[in-house]
Amino acid sequence: MQGASNGNDLLQVIFSGLVTGCLYAVVLLGVLIVFQVSKSMNFAYGQVGMVATLGGWFGYSVLGLPVWLALLIGVVLAVLVNSVIDFAAIRRIPEGRPGLDLVVTLGIFLLLTAVMQQIVDANSHTFLSLGADTHRQVGGVVVSVNDGLVIGLTVAVVCVARLLLTRTTLGTSLRASAEDATIAESAGVNVRRLRTGTWAVAGLLAAVAGILVASRLAVDAFYMTPVLIKAFIAGMIGGLDRFWPPLIVAVLLGVYESCVVFLFGANAGTPAVFLLIIIALALMPKRFVNERNEVRA
Amino acid sequence: MTATLTPAERPGADDAAPPTIAVTGLSVRYGGFYAIKDLTTALPGGEIVGVIGPNGAGKSTLLNAISGFTPLTEGTITLGERDLGTASTAQRVRAGLVRGFQTVRLMERESVLTNVLVGTQRLPQPDPVSQLFALPRQWRARRRDLAAAMAVLDLLGLGADAERRVDELPFASRRLVEVARVLVSEPSVILLDEPAAGLDRSGRRDLASVLVRVHRDHPSTLVVVEHDVDLVKSLCSHVIALASGALVCSGTPAEVFGDPRVQQAYFGRILDAPA
Amino acid sequence: MSAGVSDRMTAAPGQAAPARPRKSTRSVAVRTAVIVVLVAAPPLIFSGYWLFVAAQVLAFGIATLGLEILYGRTGQLSLAHASFMGVGAYTGYVLSQHGYGVPAQLGAVLVVALVTGAIVAVPTLRLSGLRLALVTLAVGELFAWLLTNTTGLTGGTQGAAVAPVVIGSLDSSVPLYAYLIALVPAALATLLAVHLGRTQLGRRMLLVRDSETAARSVGVAIARTKIIAFLLSAVFAGFAGWLYSVVAGFISPADFNLFASVYLFVAVILGGAGSVVGAWLGAAYVVFMPQLFTLMGQPNLYPLIGGAILAVVALLIPDGMVGLARRLLTRAQRRRVTATEVAA
Repeated sequence: MQGASNGNDLLQVIFSGLVTGCLYAVVLLGVLIVFQVSKSMNFAYGQVGMVATLGGWFGYSVLGLPVWLALLIGVVLAVLVNSVIDFAAIRRIPEGRPGLDLVVTLGIFLLLTAVMQQIVDANSHTFLSLGADTHRQVGGVVVSVNDGLVIGLTVAVVCVARLLLTRTTLGTSLRASAEDATIAESAGVNVRRLRTGTWAVAGLLAAVAGILVASRLAVDAFYMTPVLIKAFIAGMIGGLDRFWPPLIVAVLLGVYESCVVFLFGANAGTPAVFLLIIIALALMPKRFVNERNEVRA
Repeated sequence: MTATLTPAERPGADDAAPPTIAVTGLSVRYGGFYAIKDLTTALPGGEIVGVIGPNGAGKSTLLNAISGFTPLTEGTITLGERDLGTASTAQRVRAGLVRGFQTVRLMERESVLTNVLVGTQRLPQPDPVSQLFALPRQWRARRRDLAAAMAVLDLLGLGADAERRVDELPFASRRLVEVARVLVSEPSVILLDEPAAGLDRSGRRDLASVLVRVHRDHPSTLVVVEHDVDLVKSLCSHVIALASGALVCSGTPAEVFGDPRVQQAYFGRILDAPA
Repeated sequence: MSAGVSDRMTAAPGQAAPARPRKSTRSVAVRTAVIVVLVAAPPLIFSGYWLFVAAQVLAFGIATLGLEILYGRTGQLSLAHASFMGVGAYTGYVLSQHGYGVPAQLGAVLVVALVTGAIVAVPTLRLSGLRLALVTLAVGELFAWLLTNTTGLTGGTQGAAVAPVVIGSLDSSVPLYAYLIALVPAALATLLAVHLGRTQLGRRMLLVRDSETAARSVGVAIARTKIIAFLLSAVFAGFAGWLYSVVAGFISPADFNLFASVYLFVAVILGGAGSVVGAWLGAAYVVFMPQLFTLMGQPNLYPLIGGAILAVVALLIPDGMVGLARRLLTRAQRRRVTATEVAA
């Protein structure tokens, strides 16, 4: 990167923001499919990914398991944990208590964090690099194998999700239950099984995103929280009941953040992102902000 | 019940006769569907007005339009001399117009008394800072509100349940709690959306007699959307029949229920529907 | 039926007999006795450090009451409540650094809390649920960022030592005096919270929480009610933060971060949203428990149990400990009644 012209610098910045944005998008995808069917949000979602990676790291570096086995166990753990969150908590939230899903999952957030800190520790650990140190120059931009992996996986995951949603009966029933669970139920859709499925798949996505983020940074009990918050922000701005807009916002958010840091220094990232969400939600036209009105007066 | 509140405590009432609600050329559209189309009618002041019609006739929409819960697509609604136009719900309430809901909307985990007391919002209340710190004024307002709430609860036969939580009550009582919340501020226009739904026969009779008594002791324009023909006949002095968002006919109960179009539009379908 | 009430009204206009049955003098006396014992117990049992901890409970109780008003009664989920505590604490600290006394500090805490409360409240009016949570979370993160980037003024991440407050002959660095100093605002806050429940303002909040549609139908100004709830909670939190800084003698951004806000939620939910007694129980829990776990050599267990409690209580015991106690009490009473009936 040294000696490159300013234009190249900017290109590099945008590219690295793009990669970060892809990570936000993968996390957000998990949030979106869960929201579609369950109409609830999971504050502990980032910690599900953390369970996979910190568990995986613990498996291969402390217990001495083969790496692939440790990671597999981590991923399975994430799927299980996310499914249990739905089964044991979210499903049992009584009707007409809005906001309770947030409070309950905040509790699970604390719980998962504390459990993993108890089992592993509270320190930060380097994770598998997954090609983060193998670089190549592509069109004036330094690209690591890891970058390619992130972009490739993101595109693949998003496209598969899109195809599943639009081209299969599974997708049709998913969209039907998103529209109205009672009607879908009466049309023969097994909403319960569908719901279990989406939470499991979301757990898988959290694990994938967690591993990718960890390979670029490091693993500790909190590393997924900023990623989740940014995925939420993108979801809020783009709309949780849509598909492309929130995902595109997620990618753009990564670019925006990266550009702000490049222009104003590392310290400016936090306020820039949080000011963005405050301004966006406070000033957006009302119809974008209202989640659901009480249906009938 | 003699009026519990002095005229000065009843905003919008003025001592003038209860206002007539005039609906002119009213249309309400949801998306591409007209819930009400070009409706012109009057809800005469001081009477008990029944609004009848089959499901989807636009009864609730009319109530929503009058109470300001639905924006008008076209037309005007006037309350006495006053054009309601785009007045907010709060402004309408201050003008003396209070409504109830088809589905009961209560604070389930609070006491009956609290649920009724909240209806005194329409009465002149001290400003928030005074409520917190100007204690004598606050106490005076609280005494007045408590007396009004207990009076209306006694009237509806709920006096003994005042301290109970709403979610402990049977459905019929909860419906009455909502009626009490509407009545507590003695509004000059009262809109009730199927107040007898879910009540058994004797419950309906009791409710009807209470409403008649309230109306006699405290004159108001009392508008009741109702399915129960007997109830409407025994309660109302004026009936408006709607079908598919349009007026079928209006007049005294005898006139309206004698009208062949009502017989067809209303009874024809209601007999088919599972009761 | 209503004749009785009306008669009373006409018989004694202006000073109507209390329409609501008064609590019996005996139960009032019992309550007062319990409160006196609870308030007097810490100085009699504890000394030194633990009396400071008891004083911290008083500070956190005020903050919890504030969140109880905002979340428990008005239904507005805020993840910036600890930040409002921080606003109060740092306002007091900065002023004391510049040589201002307690009255000026308290005045400034009030003003700054009101202003920041309004700044947060107005843009969040249209938001609910997750959106509200996210925006308030963003506010909290911005506040934390502000603290860490104004090291000269606030001490940054290293924190800052707060000079003890001296009121008359009471010095807040003496445990007993710190407790006594904290007792006054705690009592005032409690009275205010109880009184709020008896005002139309307090009922408006409940209705806004439970059904905005019903609130509109009786003429409640929803936005105004939410703003007032926000302002009240910000003022409670601001004074609580100031008090905490004085009692603890040291503040740092970690005292007022997202986790601190979540623990305030634990306090409200555990005690029972919508209950003043519950707020105090919750505050006692979140201050004493971490100390106890540290004493037992298991500091990690506290967040673990805190998380479990938040999830389990919110799901299974919606009215918290107070609601649970009340339910058990009525069940026991009912059983006693049936038992005497059987005996008779």
